[in-house]
Amino acid sequence: MSEWLQQAIARADSIQDGFEDQRATSLALLKDIKWPTRKTEAWKYTPLRAVERSKAIFKEESPELEPVAVEGLEFLELTFVDGQLVSLPEELPEGLSIEMQESSLFATIKPERHVFGLVNDVLAADVAVVTVAEGVAVEQMLRINNLLSNGAQGHIRVVVDLKAGSSLKVVENAEGQGASLTTAFTEYQIGVEANLEHYRFALQSGDNVAVGGSHFKLFENAVMNSSIIGFGSDLQRIDTDIVYAGEKANAKLNAIYLLDGKELFDLHANVEHAVPNCTTEENIRGIAGDSSRAVFNGRIHIHRDAQKTLAELNNRNLLMSNKAEINTKPELEIYADDVRCAHGATIAQIDKQALYYLQTRGVSRSQAQLMLSFGFINELIDQMPTVELADWVRPIIRDRFAQMEVK
Amino acid sequence: MTEQIDKALAREYEAGFVSAVESETFEPGLDEDVIRRISEVKGEPEWMLEWRLNAFRVWQEMEEPDWAHVSYPKIDFQAVSYYSAPKSMKDKPKSLDEVDPELLRTYEKLGIPLVEQQMLAGVAVDAVFDSVSVVTTFREKLEEAGVIFCPISEALHKYPDLVKKYLGSVVPTKDNFFAALNCAVFTDGSFVYIPKGTRCPMELSTYFRINEQNTGQFERTLIIADEGSYVSYLEGCTAPQRDENQLHAAVVELVAMDDAEIKYSTVQNWYPGDEEGKGGIYNFVTKRGVCHTNAKISWTQVETGSSVTWKYPSCVLKGDNSVGEFYSVALTRGRQQADTGTKMIHIGKNTKSTIISKGISAGKSNNAYRGLVRMNPGAEGARNFTQCDSLLIGDQCGAHTFPYVESRNPSAIVEHEATTSKVSDDQMFLCRQRGVDPEKAVSMIVNGFCKEVFKELPMEFAVEAGKLLEISLEGSVG
Repeated sequence: MSEWLQQAIARADSIQDGFEDQRATSLALLKDIKWPTRKTEAWKYTPLRAVERSKAIFKEESPELEPVAVEGLEFLELTFVDGQLVSLPEELPEGLSIEMQESSLFATIKPERHVFGLVNDVLAADVAVVTVAEGVAVEQMLRINNLLSNGAQGHIRVVVDLKAGSSLKVVENAEGQGASLTTAFTEYQIGVEANLEHYRFALQSGDNVAVGGSHFKLFENAVMNSSIIGFGSDLQRIDTDIVYAGEKANAKLNAIYLLDGKELFDLHANVEHAVPNCTTEENIRGIAGDSSRAVFNGRIHIHRDAQKTLAELNNRNLLMSNKAEINTKPELEIYADDVRCAHGATIAQIDKQALYYLQTRGVSRSQAQLMLSFGFINELIDQMPTVELADWVRPIIRDRFAQMEVK
Repeated sequence: MTEQIDKALAREYEAGFVSAVESETFEPGLDEDVIRRISEVKGEPEWMLEWRLNAFRVWQEMEEPDWAHVSYPKIDFQAVSYYSAPKSMKDKPKSLDEVDPELLRTYEKLGIPLVEQQMLAGVAVDAVFDSVSVVTTFREKLEEAGVIFCPISEALHKYPDLVKKYLGSVVPTKDNFFAALNCAVFTDGSFVYIPKGTRCPMELSTYFRINEQNTGQFERTLIIADEGSYVSYLEGCTAPQRDENQLHAAVVELVAMDDAEIKYSTVQNWYPGDEEGKGGIYNFVTKRGVCHTNAKISWTQVETGSSVTWKYPSCVLKGDNSVGEFYSVALTRGRQQADTGTKMIHIGKNTKSTIISKGISAGKSNNAYRGLVRMNPGAEGARNFTQCDSLLIGDQCGAHTFPYVESRNPSAIVEHEATTSKVSDDQMFLCRQRGVDPEKAVSMIVNGFCKEVFKELPMEFAVEAGKLLEISLEGSVG
């Protein structure tokens, strides 16, 4: 067991905030857990040295931090700084409630297997429970901000409960300064015929350590559409789990990672088709430059009863440098026969012919490279349902490419 | 007093030792003494014994792997007998009348000649039947070409330098738990050496080698194709072998020197256990080949037997422009479990690999493809294409895909795709409309599904493999 984990457990043991019962199971599990190593399948390509070495501390007092502004969008902001909830929206639309309370959903959607999920269970100081009442469509977007000051450690947890027929748009936004460390987990229950539009932006980079997950449980006819964009850092790991609990539900997951320097980004996407007639579509695209390392694991599990499932996963990667590394593992585990399942994965560099074509049209080689790699990513950005967010993120990605180009 | 006891003990040990050499099967159990005895029985040189003992010590430190998608009761390695000499004539069935009729029915369907049927069933036949002369002719022809093809135990005596140089060079002792066990206790297997620039005049097969009968369950095969040579090696036989042994942990090592080519084909049909999953063979095999510059290794396998299969024939593409291929059909039914696939390690420039895997699951079986494609930083311009298709027959089985793809070279191209489907109602309807009965229709569709792999097999093998699938699928259609 690592020293870091020991400290986390010691801290958890000392917390007295009335939520002890909610944490008890996770704490017991955590005390027994084996610290992941390269031999642990889920951490095969992702060393935890960055966590082990981290000097990030729990701060008594945190500076005031503001989340980044997005032009054309006014969010309902739920802001955590260094793991403490600092602000809630002053006024909430009808049918939407946010409370700090125990939730029966807590740690039921996120699977137990995540070590850091358990750490989050016991260390997240303020668990926010977001509820959308039956049939209510919340127009304004909710943004969950996880802001960290230099050298701080913080753990945040949000539970979102969409009752039947409701709809909600959520942005999970992480911003970290300096050598901070965070775990951020969100659990979503998407009720019958409910609709979730979800984004997770992990655009912090540098010597930041961030481990987290977004976990979804869908009931009958529920729909979710999620977009994840990540830059790497010392350690950036996101786990998503999509679990179908009702028939005819439908999930779409688009994810992008853009890595530079010595960054590491690891995305694990797990889909559990436990009931029949559900549909999953996953598109994951990544670019790894310089001496970065990208890890993707996409598992689709079709249970015995999940007949008539339609599940597709596509992972495409561009490897830009001799020192970079991409490890991908799309997995299918199928126990039902009347299903259509496919996955594909590719790793290559930019198509030489396309590059040549552009060059013959007078575009410089580096410009052509930029255009092609941007196009590769932009296909997924174009699919974001909220145009303002797509417009906001495009220049950020352009800057990222420019930065990668300079090296 | 103590002296007497010591003496008595020493004597007992001595006696035990001698009688053990004479007896046909060792008592179950594994310790250094058992290994010394195996080595002694085989009359091996000292270095070989040391090698085995070292492997045994390594093995003791290792843990049995549990990552494969299979489950079986824990193996008690002390309950296994590690040496079994060929059974004497008197223990064998006297004629085919004494052989399980179920087995004979299968032989008949495969169209296996009577003499071969007797051989496969282990009937005591005098050494004077047709195939002996066949074997002799083959031997002469091979000797003419300078090809060495003999049991590995014989090679240890006749060609110790070659064996010493290459044994364990591809699959090192420490490679994995079952390989280490094999290193310690292997009893026999094949040794092949093809000299420089030689094209082996015929397809080599363990089947032709009479003394391959009843070798121990820990086989060791070593094939060396020297510069510019070619060999096609066929392993196994298409008819089920009723083997009582529960555990098969074989190791196969291939070395393809510059410009050489090795084609290794396997049809594996060990006893799969009954419908309830009782009995059957655990087939835990390590197969790997090294390709030097411009060399090529091609693995083709048709796996229909064994209750549990754990097997990943792999290629280390060390030399520039080398090529690795893996074509596989794995069919599971009843309660069979297969976790099989390949590893392609691209080290050299412009190396190429192709993986075509077809998994068919029926009954209550589980069939998994597990593969690794690794592009090392030096694998400039390397290329891989992987296709894994699964076919499910019935709703009680499972089909799984676990591919690992790792790339560290931007100019390398890796493509992986996997699909899962079932025998569709449309296909069945079309066949039945034309008067094909359902069982035949399924077998036709499955054969079509596997065509890409079958065409890689040597002709006779391909025909038999087709028939084998047909037989294996019997009763799978509702």
